[in-house]
Amino acid sequence: MMDIRIFLSLAVVLFTIGVYGVLTRRNAVGILLSIELLANAVNLNLVAFGHFGAGAVGQVFALFSVALTVTEVIVGLAIVVLLYRTRQDITVDLASEMSR
Amino acid sequence: MTFPAIVNLFPFAADIVVLVGILAILVLDLLLPHGDKRVLGGLTILTLVVAFAVSLFYPMNGEAWGGAYVGTPMALFFKRIFYVGGILGTLGVRQQAITEFTRRQGEYFALILVSVFGMSLLPGVRDAILLVVAFETMGIPLYVLSAYARDDKKAVEGALKLYLVGAASSATMLFGLSLLFGLAGSTSLVAIAQHAGAHPSPLAMVGTVLVLGGMGFKIGVFPFHMWVPDTYEGSRTPFIAFLSAAPKVAGFALLLQLLLPAGGALLHLTLPVLMTAAVMTLFVGNFFAIRQSNVKRLLAYSGVAHVGFLLLALATGTELGIASLMFYSAGYLFTNMGAFLVVHAVATAGGDDSVESFNGLFRRSGWLSLAMLCFLLSLAGIPFVVGFWAKLFVFMAIWQAGYPALVLLGAGLSVLALFYYLRVVRAMFMTTPKSDAHITVDFATNAAIALCLAGVVGVGLYPTPVFEAARLAAIGVLGP
Repeated sequence: MMDIRIFLSLAVVLFTIGVYGVLTRRNAVGILLSIELLANAVNLNLVAFGHFGAGAVGQVFALFSVALTVTEVIVGLAIVVLLYRTRQDITVDLASEMSR
Repeated sequence: MTFPAIVNLFPFAADIVVLVGILAILVLDLLLPHGDKRVLGGLTILTLVVAFAVSLFYPMNGEAWGGAYVGTPMALFFKRIFYVGGILGTLGVRQQAITEFTRRQGEYFALILVSVFGMSLLPGVRDAILLVVAFETMGIPLYVLSAYARDDKKAVEGALKLYLVGAASSATMLFGLSLLFGLAGSTSLVAIAQHAGAHPSPLAMVGTVLVLGGMGFKIGVFPFHMWVPDTYEGSRTPFIAFLSAAPKVAGFALLLQLLLPAGGALLHLTLPVLMTAAVMTLFVGNFFAIRQSNVKRLLAYSGVAHVGFLLLALATGTELGIASLMFYSAGYLFTNMGAFLVVHAVATAGGDDSVESFNGLFRRSGWLSLAMLCFLLSLAGIPFVVGFWAKLFVFMAIWQAGYPALVLLGAGLSVLALFYYLRVVRAMFMTTPKSDAHITVDFATNAAIALCLAGVVGVGLYPTPVFEAARLAAIGVLGP
């Protein structure tokens, strides 16, 4: 019998890796991938909670979450393409001031 | 005639108007020839005015979608703020959209409406899934709008920052929500709060703090405020006027829906975190604003400081506190949008966003300088403009909730804030301009500034009706 704690721990690990990536990566696509990890940690949580008690509503929530993440990532990739067109470079540094 | 609760759409009367407006604009955009799309901006404003009128004359109370959405007086109050914000924002961006994005302006206006639509759902949500959907409906159009000037390196860079921070923060918020959902076993926000109130657990606290952190990114709370000045500086000013006001208010509307149910169970669970964040946000916003020589960055940090005040009002967890938060939101919307629009008017007249380009503004345009004076005094909280009452009500709420030290702190920081606001005032009235050229502003921007000024001065001279509406709307929000 699989325990829910296994899934939740995996989700926490994924989330932590994602946060680390968002904070340290300087390549915009790398940050986008890290955000994907965050979103997948959420989905794993939702599906696990759905399976181990909350019922179908967890799976439905996960479906909504997937759809929203996809729309968000589409916009994000479009902005990265724009950035590449304007300056041939997609490094960003979230923590520091903007280049002048 | 009665409807079963699941198909009752009356609580959405005004939202349906906005939805129809979105569809009409998208269709008309296809039908109109390329050179002739000016009418779409007018249609956007008309849609929002009709939605606002509907919200004035039709109460929109009651449950919908099986209790996932509940129309309340508080939801109505926030909806009106968002519609007014949408009207002012559209008036502000209209000229720029017409001249700079001539062929793409239809989608520009449609995206503004979609964002307003998402906002106007937020203050009535009672279900985590609807909350997330409405939140993203508000957020995703804002990313697109901020990147609309696609050849401008700075604007795109600012847009990417806004996007990355926004996407990471909504994922963080979702992670917190998923934990809260798992604990309660239900997506109902009331059930989540009741469960956390009955069985307070560290996990419930972690979940709520993650939601707060995610929202903190969005509304610019310390330590997640770093992106705010950069994005404001990079993006187009009229759009920032919209971005800096309405979505922040929407963020607070969302926090209220999550924190208030079940007697404020989740609020009490996270009170120390909220208080610390509020005080730090006040400090950081005010102290960093002093050093800024760019007016947009100055207003960005001042906005951070105002979020600190709003958080303090929220953290009181009393009905008076919630009422003062609602009043403050309304006042902040008028004041901040007006100030950014004046910055835009000055920058388009040959200047830039620096404090120096405000030099001698009084001689170049008496109207703009007097309007800006009112906005700055309101931001600083001087009687008799709306900002004074907003701060006063928040202080009253904090005092009544039993935190006199925080009142002193807030008052002290307000005096400090006066210093950096008056620097702009001094530049406007007591220096000589580089050129004497008179500043002319297009009609729509002027109308937006005039409306903001009317709100700032009108509510400042006679705050009773707005505050009464907020007070009545806040009665019973801490209920079961």
